[in-house]
Amino acid sequence: MINFESVAPVKLKGVGKGFWITLDPSQPEKILICEIDKLIRKLKHLAVNADLVLDVGDAKGHDALIEQIKIYLRENFELGHIGTSPVKRSVPLERIRQRDLSSGWNQHRSDVLMLRGRVRSGQAINAKKHLVITGDVNPGAELIAGGDVIVLGKLFGKVHAGYPDREDAIIFALGFNPSHVKIGSISALGSEGGGGSSSEFASVENNKIIIKDYMKASPFRRLPWPEAI
Amino acid sequence: MEGKIIVVTSGKGGVGKTTTTSAIGAALALEGNRVAIVDMDIGLRNLDVVMGLENRIVFNIVDVVQQKCKIEQAAIRDRRIENLFLIPASQSDNKDVLSTAGIERVAEDLRKQFDYIIMDSPAGIERGFENSIVGASEALVVCTPDVSAVRDADRVIGILYSRSLTPKLIVNRIEPGRVKRGEMLSHEDVMDVLAIELAGLVPMDDKVLISSNTGTPLVLQNDSKAGQAFKRIARRLNGEADLPFEAPTDRSSMWGKISRTFGLR
Ligand SMILES: Nc1ncnc2c1ncn2[C@@H]1O[C@H](COP(=O)(O)OP(=O)(O)O)[C@@H](O)[C@H]1O
Ligand SMILES: [Mg+2]
Repeated sequence: MINFESVAPVKLKGVGKGFWITLDPSQPEKILICEIDKLIRKLKHLAVNADLVLDVGDAKGHDALIEQIKIYLRENFELGHIGTSPVKRSVPLERIRQRDLSSGWNQHRSDVLMLRGRVRSGQAINAKKHLVITGDVNPGAELIAGGDVIVLGKLFGKVHAGYPDREDAIIFALGFNPSHVKIGSISALGSEGGGGSSSEFASVENNKIIIKDYMKASPFRRLPWPEAI
Repeated sequence: MEGKIIVVTSGKGGVGKTTTTSAIGAALALEGNRVAIVDMDIGLRNLDVVMGLENRIVFNIVDVVQQKCKIEQAAIRDRRIENLFLIPASQSDNKDVLSTAGIERVAEDLRKQFDYIIMDSPAGIERGFENSIVGASEALVVCTPDVSAVRDADRVIGILYSRSLTPKLIVNRIEPGRVKRGEMLSHEDVMDVLAIELAGLVPMDDKVLISSNTGTPLVLQNDSKAGQAFKRIARRLNGEADLPFEAPTDRSSMWGKISRTFGLR
């Protein structure tokens, strides 16, 4: 018989007309595949056309691992549908969202530095976290922020977002024309005098700084819930 | 009534600070004000040459600050324009000997004796520049329509704001023909970046060099476009805040009209 209580990296139990495999995604891929292989082989003919769910619990970011396991299983067994466990609702997240909703997000304290007015040549602005400037940033000015940089105006000058090493930061401007862009540890030179009339943003993709049209590809549009930052 | 001290700055050298100082000082005196022009570009004095007064220097501003002489002894009366005085710079580079307290004391005395005190400042943002803004109550920033002058002017504007001075802008050496051909920034481009109140627009004008070489005041030349532009700036500073701006054009007929309107007074 199968031991349901084992502390092995992989556990299997029967559910309905299929099987549920719980696995510990922190284990090496090889070991996981080897253990799953053993368990399914023990099932012999019971495994044929059986549906299978691969469950990594609350862990996130293991899509590649799951994909590898799926490929292996399809190549070696004649299983039915191989799926993943439905995403579980997170209790703490629900609590936070309920609180935000009922109090109108008013209990947040923020490190965001928001300035209005023109930033001039020779001036340097340092923000611990996100930096929002409603105004223009002139050539020769310098902005450094621990998080995102948002300029509601023309952006010239030098900008470093995600200082020192956050590569998920972005730099946005209504008129995007900086001479120098750096996000985390990745930098790029701006195009001298080019463009600058459309609202664009810079972000890091595959270790490169990419500039995109904000209205077409805003990174925030994908966020389904207003998050306080 | 206490006089006003207006400092003329730019950041970059050679953009027209000295030209502006002498022209505006002369124009304000022609309007009936008692005016002192003070050369704070110590060690590189040249206002005396531009004004044609170099042969009459006895004392200079460093002597005044160091109390070696009185303001009245250092101030040279202009030959042609009544109520116009020059306090020259010293020839040797001794700006470091000027104390802030000393400059403030002299500034106070100057305000009692004159309606307007126009101070020429050195290029850069070093000690000499700092000295020239110590006593100022108003500031003018002179900028030419080129990228490096704009960058330096922007820096200076930031510093002036940090000293709670709100500067006004003069765009000098505008060449409408070159702007039209796209070879030069327009004054709108300059104003777009610097974004401070405009004091005036001054075109490129060969008469400027001739005037300073011969030591004759630019503002007395009615056929000088730049001279007329400086006169209009002086009128704005002197209370005619609503005097409209005339953008230089490359059609000389336009300028003909303007100089007829604002010519002889
Ligand atoms: N509007 C103008 N048109 C033509 N030449 C000018 C004009 N303004 C200044 N200049 C010339 O430019 C040079 C530099 O001017 P100056 O007033 O000495 O600048 P700064 O004091 O800022 O160094 C001088 O030779 C002057 O004659
Ligand atoms: Mg000069």
